[in-house]
Amino acid sequence: MEREPRPEAPEEEPPHYLVQRVREALAHDERVNELELQVRVQGRRVFLGGQVPTKERHDAVEQVVHDLLPECEVINETTVQDYGEPKEVEKLS
Amino acid sequence: MIRVAATGDLHFGPDSAGTFRPHVERLDERADVLLLAGDLTKVGLPEEAEVLAEELRGSPVPVIAVLGNHDYHSDQPAAVRAILEEAGIRVLEGEAAVVGVDDATLGVAGAKGFGGGFAGKNATDFGEPEMKAFVRHTKEVAERLEEVLGGLDTDYRIALLHYSPVKETLHGEPPEIYAFLGSYLLAEAVDRAGADLVLHGHAHRGAEKGVTPGGVHVRNVAQHVIRAAYSVYCFGEDHDVHAGEHARSLQRAAG
Repeated sequence: MEREPRPEAPEEEPPHYLVQRVREALAHDERVNELELQVRVQGRRVFLGGQVPTKERHDAVEQVVHDLLPECEVINETTVQDYGEPKEVEKLS
Repeated sequence: MIRVAATGDLHFGPDSAGTFRPHVERLDERADVLLLAGDLTKVGLPEEAEVLAEELRGSPVPVIAVLGNHDYHSDQPAAVRAILEEAGIRVLEGEAAVVGVDDATLGVAGAKGFGGGFAGKNATDFGEPEMKAFVRHTKEVAERLEEVLGGLDTDYRIALLHYSPVKETLHGEPPEIYAFLGSYLLAEAVDRAGADLVLHGHAHRGAEKGVTPGGVHVRNVAQHVIRAAYSVYCFGEDHDVHAGEHARSLQRAAG
């Protein structure tokens, strides 16, 4: 019996896996090591969101993804945490 | 009155130098003690801990901390702890510390905690060795927390964790990852031992306020959530004194 031809792998990596590859890079690359950043892929554009502690890590986030996916445009929407002192005190008892 | 400043998930690296020190220098104007709810460093490297230690060295109020999962990533938690303790920070893991302010005492039972999920949607120590090890670690941490918290004989008691004891303070995170953000076993331990407050971090996209099934206040103090350098929680009557000037750390280990 003749076997059906095996389906060809898609030329483009499905966004489902691509997003996770970006998240893994952001978690493990020593320039960033952030696990909680938001990653969204639309075509060849990668959107990054969330908060990072320093300007250095804000810039590194973009560089890490650019190094991983040089063919993609990286839209870095992460913000740098710059928190002041609390405005109020909560009384608990 | 005891004023407790708390924050978490500072994720300090070499690039963080100078970011927290200005808040530390003025801390006694607002608080009597500072509690740190883990993820103090980026990946738990000694050089990262040294940067944070310098920020906190000479703090005008006692500083008590637990480590978080990030602080374990480089497999050097003992080195991280030693560096912080050399700078005067008390690091707790299944241990307690007591701070006295005027005539009142505050006991802090600290542990990193761990995951596993919440009642009805939780992991069970059944099956593969890896799954059993995962859940047993949480059980051991929770048992130790209950023991240490229950052993505190202070006016006020706080459980200081990194992982969450309740779902409420995780709202905003994807529900699919709740099991990796906390465990109901931590809440059960707190409810059995009794406490005035549970502090945790870890869930950057979570919510600040929750309560255990037994009625204990829970606060997620991850900086990303409180959107301040730290939060301040008060216990007792306001006697209109600068309690911070009188703060003294008894630093009594309970375990």
